[in-house]
Amino acid sequence: MTSPPESVAPTSKRSQSVTLVLMAGAGATALGLAQIDQSQREEDILVYPNPEACGAAHIRTEADCRRDYALARAAYPEGAPRYATEAQCEAHHGRSHCLPGGLVAPSAAGRFVPMMAAFLVGRRPEQDLPPQPVYDHRPGETSGGTPHGGGGYCTGWGGRVVTGGGGTASSGRVASAAVRQAAFGGFGATGRGFSSGHASGAGRGGGG
Amino acid sequence: MRRVPLGARPDWRETARANGFTFSGADGAEYWSEGHAYAFTLGQVERDIEAPSAELHALCRAFVSDAVEDERILASLALPEHAWDTVRTSWRRGDPSLYGRLDFAYDGRGPAKLLEYNADTPTALYETGVFQWLWLEEALASGRLPPGSDQFNTVHDDLIARFRGIAAGGDIAFTAYADVPEDRGTVAYLEDCARQAGLVTRFLDLGDLGLGPDGSFVDRVLCPIPLLFKLYPWEWAFADRFGQALAGTPSRFLEPPWKAVLSNKGLLAHLYAREPGHPNLLPAFFESDPDKARLGRSFARKPLYSREGANVLILREGHVLANAGGPYGAEGFIRQGLAELPDFDGWRPLVGAWIVGDAPAGLCVREGRGAVTTDAALCVPHFIAPV
Repeated sequence: MTSPPESVAPTSKRSQSVTLVLMAGAGATALGLAQIDQSQREEDILVYPNPEACGAAHIRTEADCRRDYALARAAYPEGAPRYATEAQCEAHHGRSHCLPGGLVAPSAAGRFVPMMAAFLVGRRPEQDLPPQPVYDHRPGETSGGTPHGGGGYCTGWGGRVVTGGGGTASSGRVASAAVRQAAFGGFGATGRGFSSGHASGAGRGGGG
Repeated sequence: MRRVPLGARPDWRETARANGFTFSGADGAEYWSEGHAYAFTLGQVERDIEAPSAELHALCRAFVSDAVEDERILASLALPEHAWDTVRTSWRRGDPSLYGRLDFAYDGRGPAKLLEYNADTPTALYETGVFQWLWLEEALASGRLPPGSDQFNTVHDDLIARFRGIAAGGDIAFTAYADVPEDRGTVAYLEDCARQAGLVTRFLDLGDLGLGPDGSFVDRVLCPIPLLFKLYPWEWAFADRFGQALAGTPSRFLEPPWKAVLSNKGLLAHLYAREPGHPNLLPAFFESDPDKARLGRSFARKPLYSREGANVLILREGHVLANAGGPYGAEGFIRQGLAELPDFDGWRPLVGAWIVGDAPAGLCVREGRGAVTTDAALCVPHFIAPV
Protein backbone atom coordinates (compact mmCIF):
# COMPACT_ATOMS: atom_id res chain seq x y z
CA MET A 1 0.00 0.00 0.00
CA THR A 2 1.86 3.00 1.25
CA SER A 3 5.33 3.64 -0.02
CA PRO A 4 8.20 4.92 2.07
CA PRO A 5 8.92 8.60 1.76
CA GLU A 6 11.80 9.50 -0.49
CA SER A 7 13.69 11.18 2.28
CA VAL A 8 13.03 11.69 5.94
CA ALA A 9 15.40 13.70 8.04
CA PRO A 10 17.23 11.55 10.59
CA THR A 11 15.72 13.61 13.39
CA SER A 12 12.18 12.84 12.22
CA LYS A 13 9.59 12.17 14.89
CA ARG A 14 7.49 9.97 12.63
CA SER A 15 7.61 6.46 11.24
CA GLN A 16 9.99 5.96 8.31
CA SER A 17 7.44 3.85 6.51
CA VAL A 18 4.02 2.45 7.19
CA THR A 19 2.89 -0.79 5.59
CA LEU A 20 -0.25 -2.84 6.06
CA VAL A 21 -0.44 -6.51 5.20
CA LEU A 22 -4.01 -7.42 6.15
CA MET A 23 -6.05 -4.27 5.86
CA ALA A 24 -4.76 -2.77 2.66
CA GLY A 25 -7.30 -2.84 -0.13
CA ALA A 26 -9.63 -5.22 1.65
CA GLY A 27 -11.41 -2.84 3.93
CA ALA A 28 -11.77 -3.65 7.58
CA THR A 29 -15.37 -4.70 7.23
CA ALA A 30 -14.74 -7.17 4.45
CA LEU A 31 -11.79 -8.50 6.36
CA GLY A 32 -13.90 -8.88 9.43
CA LEU A 33 -16.60 -10.87 7.73
CA ALA A 34 -14.13 -13.15 6.03
CA GLN A 35 -12.42 -13.91 9.29
CA ILE A 36 -15.46 -14.26 11.49
CA ASP A 37 -17.14 -16.68 9.17
CA GLN A 38 -14.54 -19.39 9.57
CA SER A 39 -15.92 -22.91 9.41
CA GLN A 40 -16.04 -24.84 12.60
CA ARG A 41 -14.20 -28.04 13.34
CA GLU A 42 -16.46 -31.06 13.16
CA GLU A 43 -16.46 -34.46 14.73
CA ASP A 44 -17.93 -37.86 13.91
CA ILE A 45 -20.13 -39.11 16.71
CA LEU A 46 -22.33 -42.09 17.54
CA VAL A 47 -25.59 -41.83 19.48
CA TYR A 48 -27.45 -44.79 21.00
CA PRO A 49 -30.54 -44.90 23.21
CA ASN A 50 -29.06 -47.78 25.26
CA PRO A 51 -26.06 -50.14 25.41
CA GLU A 52 -27.94 -52.89 23.57
CA ALA A 53 -28.49 -50.71 20.50
CA CYS A 54 -24.83 -49.76 20.65
CA GLY A 55 -23.70 -53.37 20.75
CA ALA A 56 -26.06 -54.36 17.94
CA ALA A 57 -24.42 -51.80 15.66
CA HIS A 58 -21.12 -53.71 15.87
CA ILE A 59 -19.01 -50.58 15.67
CA ARG A 60 -17.90 -50.79 19.27
CA THR A 61 -17.58 -53.85 21.47
CA GLU A 62 -20.39 -54.67 23.85
CA ALA A 63 -18.04 -54.04 26.77
CA ASP A 64 -17.19 -50.57 25.43
CA CYS A 65 -20.88 -49.88 24.95
CA ARG A 66 -21.69 -50.79 28.54
CA ARG A 67 -18.79 -48.76 29.90
CA ASP A 68 -19.64 -45.69 27.80
CA TYR A 69 -23.29 -45.88 28.77
CA ALA A 70 -22.38 -46.12 32.46
CA LEU A 71 -20.13 -43.06 32.17
CA ALA A 72 -22.82 -41.04 30.45
CA ARG A 73 -25.44 -42.19 32.95
CA ALA A 74 -23.16 -41.15 35.81
CA ALA A 75 -22.72 -37.69 34.27
CA TYR A 76 -26.46 -37.24 33.81
CA PRO A 77 -27.66 -36.11 37.27
CA GLU A 78 -25.29 -33.16 37.50
CA GLY A 79 -24.97 -32.54 33.76
CA ALA A 80 -28.67 -32.27 32.95
CA PRO A 81 -29.89 -28.75 32.25
CA ARG A 82 -32.14 -27.22 34.90
CA TYR A 83 -35.40 -25.40 34.30
CA ALA A 84 -37.52 -23.41 36.70
CA THR A 85 -40.78 -24.88 35.48
CA GLU A 86 -41.93 -28.03 33.77
CA ALA A 87 -43.36 -25.92 30.96
CA GLN A 88 -39.98 -24.34 30.23
CA CYS A 89 -38.35 -27.76 30.23
CA GLU A 90 -40.98 -29.23 27.91
CA ALA A 91 -40.65 -26.25 25.59
CA HIS A 92 -37.07 -27.35 24.93
CA HIS A 93 -37.28 -31.09 25.21
CA GLY A 94 -40.83 -32.08 24.40
CA ARG A 95 -43.96 -32.98 26.24
CA SER A 96 -43.59 -35.71 28.90
CA HIS A 97 -39.83 -35.64 28.49
CA CYS A 98 -39.12 -33.89 31.77
CA LEU A 99 -38.83 -34.94 35.39
CA PRO A 100 -38.97 -33.15 38.72
CA GLY A 101 -35.30 -32.42 39.41
CA GLY A 102 -35.41 -33.89 42.90
CA LEU A 103 -35.87 -37.37 41.38
CA VAL A 104 -32.58 -37.00 39.52
CA ALA A 105 -30.23 -35.12 41.82
CA PRO A 106 -30.48 -33.29 45.15
CA SER A 107 -28.90 -30.27 43.47
CA ALA A 108 -31.84 -30.15 41.04
CA ALA A 109 -34.56 -30.24 43.69
CA GLY A 110 -37.36 -27.78 43.03
CA ARG A 111 -36.51 -27.60 39.34
CA PHE A 112 -37.14 -29.68 36.26
CA VAL A 113 -34.70 -31.62 34.13
CA PRO A 114 -35.10 -33.52 30.84
CA MET A 115 -34.91 -37.29 30.75
CA MET A 116 -31.72 -38.73 29.35
CA ALA A 117 -32.68 -39.78 25.82
CA ALA A 118 -29.47 -41.40 24.66
CA PHE A 119 -25.73 -41.41 25.10
CA LEU A 120 -23.15 -39.99 22.75
CA VAL A 121 -19.60 -41.16 22.07
CA GLY A 122 -16.88 -40.33 19.58
CA ARG A 123 -16.66 -42.65 16.59
CA ARG A 124 -12.93 -43.19 17.12
CA PRO A 125 -11.11 -43.62 20.43
CA GLU A 126 -8.44 -41.08 19.45
CA GLN A 127 -11.08 -38.33 19.45
CA ASP A 128 -10.92 -38.67 23.23
CA LEU A 129 -14.48 -37.44 23.53
CA PRO A 130 -15.99 -38.21 26.94
CA PRO A 131 -19.22 -40.25 26.70
CA GLN A 132 -22.10 -38.00 27.58
CA PRO A 133 -25.87 -37.96 27.99
CA VAL A 134 -27.98 -36.19 25.36
CA TYR A 135 -31.57 -35.02 25.51
CA ASP A 136 -34.40 -34.86 23.01
CA HIS A 137 -34.45 -31.50 21.29
CA ARG A 138 -38.11 -30.70 20.65
CA PRO A 139 -38.56 -26.96 20.77
CA GLY A 140 -42.15 -25.77 20.58
CA GLU A 141 -43.58 -29.25 20.45
CA THR A 142 -47.31 -29.16 21.05
CA SER A 143 -48.26 -32.83 20.84
CA GLY A 144 -46.73 -35.99 22.18
CA GLY A 145 -45.10 -36.86 18.87
CA THR A 146 -42.90 -39.88 18.44
CA PRO A 147 -39.98 -40.50 20.73
CA HIS A 148 -36.54 -39.52 19.46
CA GLY A 149 -38.08 -37.74 16.50
CA GLY A 150 -36.67 -35.42 13.90
CA GLY A 151 -35.62 -32.68 16.28
CA GLY A 152 -32.50 -34.57 17.11
CA TYR A 153 -30.70 -34.18 20.39
CA CYS A 154 -28.98 -31.56 22.44
CA THR A 155 -26.24 -31.72 25.01
CA GLY A 156 -26.44 -30.48 28.55
CA TRP A 157 -25.11 -27.07 27.56
CA GLY A 158 -27.33 -26.66 24.51
CA GLY A 159 -25.10 -28.06 21.76
CA ARG A 160 -27.18 -29.41 18.86
CA VAL A 161 -26.66 -32.99 17.77
CA VAL A 162 -28.55 -34.04 14.66
CA THR A 163 -28.09 -37.52 13.29
CA GLY A 164 -29.43 -38.85 10.03
CA GLY A 165 -32.67 -40.75 9.43
CA GLY A 166 -34.89 -38.49 11.44
CA GLY A 167 -32.65 -38.74 14.46
CA THR A 168 -32.90 -42.52 14.85
CA ALA A 169 -29.68 -43.27 12.98
CA SER A 170 -26.78 -43.80 15.25
CA SER A 171 -24.08 -41.79 13.52
CA GLY A 172 -23.64 -38.16 12.66
CA ARG A 173 -21.19 -35.37 12.09
CA VAL A 174 -21.55 -32.38 14.39
CA ALA A 175 -19.78 -29.18 15.28
CA SER A 176 -17.08 -29.95 17.76
CA ALA A 177 -18.27 -27.18 20.04
CA ALA A 178 -21.64 -28.90 20.34
CA VAL A 179 -20.17 -31.90 22.07
CA ARG A 180 -17.10 -30.48 23.81
CA GLN A 181 -17.83 -28.84 27.08
CA ALA A 182 -16.75 -25.28 26.49
CA ALA A 183 -19.02 -22.44 27.44
CA PHE A 184 -19.53 -19.56 25.02
CA GLY A 185 -21.04 -16.13 25.20
CA GLY A 186 -19.63 -15.36 28.62
CA PHE A 187 -18.14 -12.03 27.53
CA GLY A 188 -19.99 -9.14 25.98
CA ALA A 189 -23.28 -8.99 27.87
CA THR A 190 -22.31 -6.11 30.14
CA GLY A 191 -21.27 -3.90 27.26
CA ARG A 192 -24.44 -4.70 25.31
CA GLY A 193 -26.38 -3.55 28.32
CA PHE A 194 -24.61 -0.21 28.23
CA SER A 195 -25.01 0.14 24.48
CA SER A 196 -28.74 -0.34 24.51
CA GLY A 197 -29.03 2.21 27.26
CA HIS A 198 -26.86 4.77 25.47
CA ALA A 199 -28.48 8.15 25.11
CA SER A 200 -27.71 8.37 21.40
CA GLY A 201 -29.18 4.96 20.77
CA ALA A 202 -26.12 4.07 18.72
CA GLY A 203 -24.65 0.61 19.04
CA ARG A 204 -21.37 1.59 20.62
CA GLY A 205 -18.59 -0.78 21.40
CA GLY A 206 -15.96 -1.15 24.05
CA GLY A 207 -13.44 1.27 22.58
CA GLY A 208 -13.14 4.92 23.34
CA MET B 1 -0.29 25.57 18.36
CA ARG B 2 -2.47 26.80 15.49
CA ARG B 3 -5.46 25.53 13.57
CA VAL B 4 -4.39 25.85 9.97
CA PRO B 5 -6.70 25.67 6.93
CA LEU B 6 -5.02 23.44 4.35
CA GLY B 7 -7.88 22.04 2.32
CA ALA B 8 -8.69 18.35 2.11
CA ARG B 9 -7.08 16.11 -0.48
CA PRO B 10 -9.72 15.72 -3.19
CA ASP B 11 -9.18 11.96 -3.28
CA TRP B 12 -8.84 11.26 0.43
CA ARG B 13 -11.89 9.01 0.50
CA GLU B 14 -10.41 6.79 -2.19
CA THR B 15 -7.14 6.77 -0.30
CA ALA B 16 -9.06 5.76 2.80
CA ARG B 17 -10.77 2.90 1.00
CA ALA B 18 -7.50 1.70 -0.50
CA ASN B 19 -5.97 1.57 2.95
CA GLY B 20 -8.69 -0.27 4.75
CA PHE B 21 -10.08 2.82 6.49
CA THR B 22 -13.73 1.97 5.97
CA PHE B 23 -15.00 2.35 9.48
CA SER B 24 -16.42 5.68 10.49
CA GLY B 25 -17.45 7.57 13.58
CA ALA B 26 -20.53 7.53 15.72
CA ASP B 27 -23.80 7.02 13.88
CA GLY B 28 -21.96 6.44 10.63
CA ALA B 29 -20.84 10.07 10.34
CA GLU B 30 -17.53 10.73 8.70
CA TYR B 31 -15.13 11.61 11.41
CA TRP B 32 -11.85 11.99 9.64
CA SER B 33 -11.55 15.72 8.90
CA GLU B 34 -8.55 17.19 7.08
CA GLY B 35 -9.79 20.55 5.86
CA HIS B 36 -7.81 21.92 8.78
CA ALA B 37 -4.83 20.61 10.67
CA TYR B 38 -3.22 21.52 13.97
CA ALA B 39 0.32 22.90 13.80
CA PHE B 40 2.66 22.48 16.74
CA THR B 41 6.23 23.58 17.28
CA LEU B 42 8.77 20.88 18.03
CA GLY B 43 9.19 22.40 21.48
CA GLN B 44 5.47 22.16 22.18
CA VAL B 45 5.42 18.51 21.19
CA GLU B 46 8.57 17.46 23.02
CA ARG B 47 8.44 19.67 26.10
CA ASP B 48 4.69 20.00 26.65
CA ILE B 49 3.30 16.64 25.49
CA GLU B 50 5.93 13.97 25.00
CA ALA B 51 8.00 14.48 28.15
CA PRO B 52 5.00 14.89 30.48
CA SER B 53 3.37 11.81 28.93
CA ALA B 54 6.40 9.68 29.74
CA GLU B 55 6.48 11.09 33.25
CA LEU B 56 2.75 10.61 33.87
CA HIS B 57 2.86 7.06 32.57
CA ALA B 58 5.72 6.33 34.97
CA LEU B 59 3.70 7.86 37.83
CA CYS B 60 0.80 5.65 36.80
CA ARG B 61 2.94 2.54 36.95
CA ALA B 62 4.17 3.51 40.40
CA PHE B 63 0.55 3.96 41.43
CA VAL B 64 -0.44 0.53 40.11
CA SER B 65 2.41 -0.98 42.05
CA ASP B 66 0.98 0.42 45.30
CA ALA B 67 -2.69 0.00 44.38
CA VAL B 68 -2.56 -3.76 43.83
CA GLU B 69 -1.17 -4.22 47.35
CA ASP B 70 -3.74 -1.95 48.99
CA GLU B 71 -7.32 -3.16 49.09
CA ARG B 72 -8.57 0.26 50.15
CA ILE B 73 -7.33 1.65 46.84
CA LEU B 74 -8.82 -1.21 44.83
CA ALA B 75 -12.13 -0.67 46.61
CA SER B 76 -12.00 3.08 45.97
CA LEU B 77 -11.76 2.33 42.24
CA ALA B 78 -14.94 0.25 42.47
CA LEU B 79 -13.17 -2.82 41.18
CA PRO B 80 -15.20 -5.89 42.24
CA GLU B 81 -13.57 -7.91 44.96
CA HIS B 82 -13.53 -11.07 42.89
CA ALA B 83 -11.23 -9.31 40.43
CA TRP B 84 -8.61 -8.13 42.91
CA ASP B 85 -6.47 -11.26 42.73
CA THR B 86 -6.58 -11.20 38.94
CA VAL B 87 -5.45 -7.59 38.85
CA ARG B 88 -2.79 -8.10 41.51
CA THR B 89 -1.40 -11.28 39.99
CA SER B 90 -1.13 -9.78 36.53
CA TRP B 91 0.96 -6.92 37.90
CA ARG B 92 3.20 -9.06 40.13
CA ARG B 93 3.80 -11.41 37.23
CA GLY B 94 4.89 -8.49 35.09
CA ASP B 95 2.27 -9.00 32.37
CA PRO B 96 3.26 -6.57 29.62
CA SER B 97 0.97 -3.83 28.35
CA LEU B 98 0.58 -2.77 24.73
CA TYR B 99 -0.81 0.73 24.51
CA GLY B 100 -2.88 3.53 25.97
CA ARG B 101 -3.84 7.13 25.32
CA LEU B 102 -3.46 10.07 27.69
CA ASP B 103 -5.94 12.84 26.93
CA PHE B 104 -4.91 16.43 27.59
CA ALA B 105 -6.40 19.89 27.56
CA TYR B 106 -3.68 21.93 25.85
CA ASP B 107 -3.69 25.23 24.02
CA GLY B 108 -0.02 25.65 23.12
CA ARG B 109 0.75 27.75 26.16
CA GLY B 110 1.42 26.51 29.65
CA PRO B 111 1.37 22.91 30.80
CA ALA B 112 -0.94 20.35 29.25
CA LYS B 113 -3.50 19.17 31.80
CA LEU B 114 -4.29 15.49 32.03
CA LEU B 115 -8.04 14.91 31.69
CA GLU B 116 -7.95 11.11 31.78
CA TYR B 117 -5.97 8.04 30.84
CA ASN B 118 -7.72 5.67 28.45
CA ALA B 119 -5.33 2.90 29.33
CA ASP B 120 -7.47 -0.09 28.47
CA THR B 121 -9.47 0.22 25.23
CA PRO B 122 -8.50 3.36 23.30
CA THR B 123 -9.50 3.72 19.67
CA ALA B 124 -8.40 6.24 16.97
CA LEU B 125 -5.20 4.22 16.77
CA TYR B 126 -5.28 3.35 13.07
CA GLU B 127 -6.31 6.92 12.29
CA THR B 128 -3.24 8.14 14.13
CA GLY B 129 -0.63 5.59 13.11
CA VAL B 130 -1.58 5.05 9.48
CA PHE B 131 -3.99 7.53 8.02
CA GLN B 132 -2.59 10.62 9.70
CA TRP B 133 0.93 9.55 8.68
CA LEU B 134 -0.17 9.03 5.10
CA TRP B 135 -1.84 12.45 5.13
CA LEU B 136 1.45 14.06 6.14
CA GLU B 137 3.47 12.26 3.49
CA GLU B 138 1.00 13.21 0.76
CA ALA B 139 0.74 16.78 2.01
CA LEU B 140 4.53 17.05 1.83
CA ALA B 141 4.66 15.49 -1.62
CA SER B 142 1.94 17.78 -2.98
CA GLY B 143 3.39 20.93 -1.44
CA ARG B 144 0.33 21.42 0.75
CA LEU B 145 2.76 21.46 3.69
CA PRO B 146 6.16 23.19 3.61
CA PRO B 147 9.27 21.00 3.32
CA GLY B 148 10.61 20.00 6.69
CA SER B 149 7.15 19.60 8.23
CA ASP B 150 7.07 16.60 10.51
CA GLN B 151 4.68 14.73 12.78
CA PHE B 152 4.97 13.12 16.20
CA ASN B 153 3.94 9.66 15.15
CA THR B 154 5.93 6.46 15.50
CA VAL B 155 2.80 4.59 16.59
CA HIS B 156 3.00 2.06 13.75
CA ASP B 157 6.69 1.18 14.23
CA ASP B 158 6.31 1.09 17.98
CA LEU B 159 3.30 -1.23 17.92
CA ILE B 160 5.12 -3.72 15.71
CA ALA B 161 8.21 -3.57 17.90
CA ARG B 162 6.08 -3.99 21.01
CA PHE B 163 4.28 -7.05 19.64
CA ARG B 164 7.65 -8.52 18.76
CA GLY B 165 8.84 -7.90 22.30
CA ILE B 166 5.73 -9.40 23.89
CA ALA B 167 5.29 -12.60 21.90
CA ALA B 168 7.70 -12.99 18.99
CA GLY B 169 6.65 -16.01 16.93
CA GLY B 170 3.77 -16.75 19.29
CA ASP B 171 0.03 -17.02 18.92
CA ILE B 172 -2.34 -14.18 19.60
CA ALA B 173 -6.08 -13.86 19.15
CA PHE B 174 -7.98 -10.59 18.87
CA THR B 175 -11.52 -10.02 20.02
CA ALA B 176 -14.05 -7.18 20.00
CA TYR B 177 -17.68 -6.64 19.08
CA ALA B 178 -17.37 -7.62 15.42
CA ASP B 179 -20.48 -5.61 14.57
CA VAL B 180 -19.12 -2.29 15.85
CA PRO B 181 -17.11 -0.97 12.89
CA GLU B 182 -14.83 1.36 14.84
CA ASP B 183 -13.85 -1.38 17.26
CA ARG B 184 -13.51 -3.95 14.49
CA GLY B 185 -11.30 -1.56 12.52
CA THR B 186 -9.03 -0.84 15.47
CA VAL B 187 -8.60 -4.51 16.17
CA ALA B 188 -7.99 -5.30 12.49
CA TYR B 189 -5.20 -2.73 12.54
CA LEU B 190 -3.62 -4.22 15.65
CA GLU B 191 -3.87 -7.67 14.11
CA ASP B 192 -2.06 -6.30 11.07
CA CYS B 193 0.75 -4.96 13.26
CA ALA B 194 1.02 -8.25 15.15
CA ARG B 195 1.20 -10.17 11.89
CA GLN B 196 4.02 -7.92 10.72
CA ALA B 197 5.79 -8.58 14.00
CA GLY B 198 5.77 -12.30 13.17
CA LEU B 199 2.94 -13.41 15.42
CA VAL B 200 0.31 -15.94 14.34
CA THR B 201 -2.98 -14.07 14.52
CA ARG B 202 -6.72 -14.69 14.35
CA PHE B 203 -9.85 -12.69 15.10
CA LEU B 204 -12.98 -13.80 16.88
CA ASP B 205 -16.13 -12.04 17.90
CA LEU B 206 -16.60 -11.67 21.65
CA GLY B 207 -19.48 -14.12 21.46
CA ASP B 208 -17.21 -16.74 19.91
CA LEU B 209 -14.91 -16.69 22.90
CA GLY B 210 -15.32 -19.87 24.92
CA LEU B 211 -14.15 -21.12 28.26
CA GLY B 212 -12.66 -24.59 28.10
CA PRO B 213 -12.78 -27.21 30.84
CA ASP B 214 -9.23 -26.42 31.99
CA GLY B 215 -9.98 -22.71 32.38
CA SER B 216 -8.30 -21.68 29.13
CA PHE B 217 -10.19 -19.35 26.89
CA VAL B 218 -10.81 -21.08 23.57
CA ASP B 219 -12.10 -20.32 20.11
CA ARG B 220 -15.01 -22.07 18.38
CA VAL B 221 -12.83 -24.96 17.36
CA LEU B 222 -11.75 -25.27 20.98
CA CYS B 223 -8.21 -24.24 20.30
CA PRO B 224 -6.78 -22.66 23.48
CA ILE B 225 -5.88 -18.98 23.30
CA PRO B 226 -2.58 -18.30 25.06
CA LEU B 227 -2.71 -14.54 24.50
CA LEU B 228 -5.88 -12.55 23.83
CA PHE B 229 -6.12 -8.91 22.83
CA LYS B 230 -9.57 -7.68 23.83
CA LEU B 231 -11.02 -4.33 22.89
CA TYR B 232 -13.47 -4.73 25.74
CA PRO B 233 -13.11 -2.88 29.02
CA TRP B 234 -12.01 -4.82 32.04
CA GLU B 235 -14.82 -3.54 34.21
CA TRP B 236 -17.30 -5.07 31.76
CA ALA B 237 -15.35 -8.30 31.55
CA PHE B 238 -15.27 -8.56 35.35
CA ALA B 239 -19.06 -8.12 35.46
CA ASP B 240 -19.71 -10.71 32.73
CA ARG B 241 -20.35 -14.37 33.39
CA PHE B 242 -16.77 -15.28 32.40
CA GLY B 243 -15.44 -12.69 34.83
CA GLN B 244 -15.33 -15.28 37.56
CA ALA B 245 -13.07 -17.47 35.43
CA LEU B 246 -10.34 -14.87 35.01
CA ALA B 247 -8.60 -15.64 38.29
CA GLY B 248 -7.74 -19.19 37.33
CA THR B 249 -7.18 -19.02 33.60
CA PRO B 250 -3.82 -19.78 32.00
CA SER B 251 -4.73 -17.38 29.15
CA ARG B 252 -2.99 -13.98 29.16
CA PHE B 253 -4.44 -10.67 28.03
CA LEU B 254 -3.68 -7.40 26.31
CA GLU B 255 -4.29 -5.05 27.91
CA PRO B 256 -3.43 -6.93 31.11
CA PRO B 257 -5.93 -6.86 34.01
CA TRP B 258 -3.83 -4.35 35.97
CA LYS B 259 -4.80 -1.72 33.38
CA ALA B 260 -8.19 -1.65 35.12
CA VAL B 261 -6.47 0.40 37.83
CA LEU B 262 -5.53 3.10 35.31
CA SER B 263 -8.52 3.17 33.00
CA ASN B 264 -10.63 4.53 35.80
CA LYS B 265 -11.28 8.14 36.71
CA GLY B 266 -10.48 7.32 40.33
CA LEU B 267 -6.87 7.28 39.13
CA LEU B 268 -7.04 11.05 38.77
CA ALA B 269 -7.87 11.59 42.43
CA HIS B 270 -5.13 9.22 43.54
CA LEU B 271 -2.50 10.75 41.24
CA TYR B 272 -3.31 14.22 42.51
CA ALA B 273 -3.09 13.06 46.13
CA ARG B 274 0.34 11.58 45.43
CA GLU B 275 1.70 14.51 43.38
CA PRO B 276 -0.32 17.59 44.33
CA GLY B 277 2.22 19.99 42.85
CA HIS B 278 2.57 18.30 39.47
CA PRO B 279 2.12 20.83 36.67
CA ASN B 280 0.22 18.39 34.43
CA LEU B 281 -2.24 17.19 37.05
CA LEU B 282 -5.50 18.92 37.87
CA PRO B 283 -6.73 18.79 41.43
CA ALA B 284 -9.14 15.89 41.70
CA PHE B 285 -11.14 14.29 44.50
CA PHE B 286 -13.56 11.46 44.96
CA GLU B 287 -17.12 12.70 45.21
CA SER B 288 -17.19 11.22 48.73
CA ASP B 289 -14.19 13.35 49.80
CA PRO B 290 -15.11 16.59 51.62
CA ASP B 291 -11.97 18.19 50.12
CA LYS B 292 -13.86 18.35 46.83
CA ALA B 293 -15.19 21.66 48.18
CA ARG B 294 -11.76 23.13 47.41
CA LEU B 295 -12.72 23.10 43.74
CA GLY B 296 -15.46 25.62 44.42
CA ARG B 297 -18.09 25.97 41.74
CA SER B 298 -15.91 25.19 38.73
CA PHE B 299 -15.21 21.53 38.07
CA ALA B 300 -15.86 18.52 35.93
CA ARG B 301 -17.72 15.61 37.51
CA LYS B 302 -16.90 12.28 35.86
CA PRO B 303 -18.10 8.72 36.53
CA LEU B 304 -15.35 6.30 37.60
CA TYR B 305 -16.16 4.29 34.51
CA SER B 306 -17.27 5.99 31.34
CA ARG B 307 -16.28 6.32 27.73
CA GLU B 308 -16.72 8.88 24.98
CA GLY B 309 -17.49 11.65 27.44
CA ALA B 310 -20.73 10.07 28.60
CA ASN B 311 -22.23 11.27 31.90
CA VAL B 312 -19.70 14.08 32.33
CA LEU B 313 -21.01 17.23 34.04
CA ILE B 314 -19.04 20.47 33.71
CA LEU B 315 -19.67 23.54 35.83
CA ARG B 316 -18.02 26.95 35.53
CA GLU B 317 -18.81 29.27 38.43
CA GLY B 318 -21.89 27.20 39.07
CA HIS B 319 -23.16 27.40 35.50
CA VAL B 320 -23.61 24.15 33.62
CA LEU B 321 -21.34 24.11 30.54
CA ALA B 322 -22.08 20.51 29.71
CA ASN B 323 -24.16 17.72 31.11
CA ALA B 324 -23.71 14.70 28.91
CA GLY B 325 -26.21 11.90 29.17
CA GLY B 326 -25.36 8.25 29.20
CA PRO B 327 -25.55 5.00 31.10
CA TYR B 328 -22.60 5.40 33.49
CA GLY B 329 -22.14 6.56 37.03
CA ALA B 330 -23.48 3.73 39.16
CA GLU B 331 -20.01 3.14 40.66
CA GLY B 332 -19.54 6.72 41.80
CA PHE B 333 -17.85 9.89 40.57
CA ILE B 334 -14.80 12.06 40.89
CA ARG B 335 -14.58 15.82 40.72
CA GLN B 336 -11.73 17.33 38.78
CA GLY B 337 -10.59 20.95 38.60
CA LEU B 338 -11.81 22.63 35.46
CA ALA B 339 -9.42 22.84 32.50
CA GLU B 340 -11.56 23.89 29.59
CA LEU B 341 -10.60 22.76 26.15
CA PRO B 342 -9.20 25.67 24.15
CA ASP B 343 -11.32 27.31 21.47
CA PHE B 344 -9.96 27.54 17.91
CA ASP B 345 -12.55 29.15 15.65
CA GLY B 346 -15.31 27.51 17.64
CA TRP B 347 -13.63 24.10 17.62
CA ARG B 348 -12.40 22.50 20.83
CA PRO B 349 -9.40 20.20 20.31
CA LEU B 350 -8.49 17.39 22.69
CA VAL B 351 -4.86 16.30 22.45
CA GLY B 352 -4.35 12.55 22.78
CA ALA B 353 -0.85 11.27 23.52
CA TRP B 354 -0.26 7.63 22.68
CA ILE B 355 1.83 5.42 24.90
CA VAL B 356 3.09 2.21 23.29
CA GLY B 357 4.76 -0.13 25.72
CA ASP B 358 6.00 2.38 28.27
CA ALA B 359 7.05 5.22 25.95
CA PRO B 360 5.25 8.08 24.20
CA ALA B 361 4.63 7.23 20.55
CA GLY B 362 2.59 9.96 18.90
CA LEU B 363 -0.27 12.42 18.90
CA CYS B 364 -3.82 12.51 17.74
CA VAL B 365 -6.15 15.48 17.90
CA ARG B 366 -9.91 15.12 18.10
CA GLU B 367 -12.14 18.14 18.02
CA GLY B 368 -15.77 18.90 18.66
CA ARG B 369 -17.94 21.94 19.27
CA GLY B 370 -18.70 21.30 22.91
CA ALA B 371 -16.92 21.40 26.23
CA VAL B 372 -16.86 17.60 26.37
CA THR B 373 -15.26 15.50 23.64
CA THR B 374 -17.77 12.81 22.67
CA ASP B 375 -17.97 9.99 20.20
CA ALA B 376 -19.12 12.55 17.64
CA ALA B 377 -15.74 14.32 17.71
CA LEU B 378 -13.74 14.60 14.50
CA CYS B 379 -10.28 13.17 14.06
CA VAL B 380 -7.99 15.92 12.72
CA PRO B 381 -4.36 15.53 11.60
CA HIS B 382 -1.46 17.45 13.11
CA PHE B 383 2.00 18.45 11.96
CA ILE B 384 5.13 19.88 13.46
CA ALA B 385 5.86 23.11 11.63
CA PRO B 386 9.44 23.56 10.40
CA VAL B 387 11.49 26.19 12.21
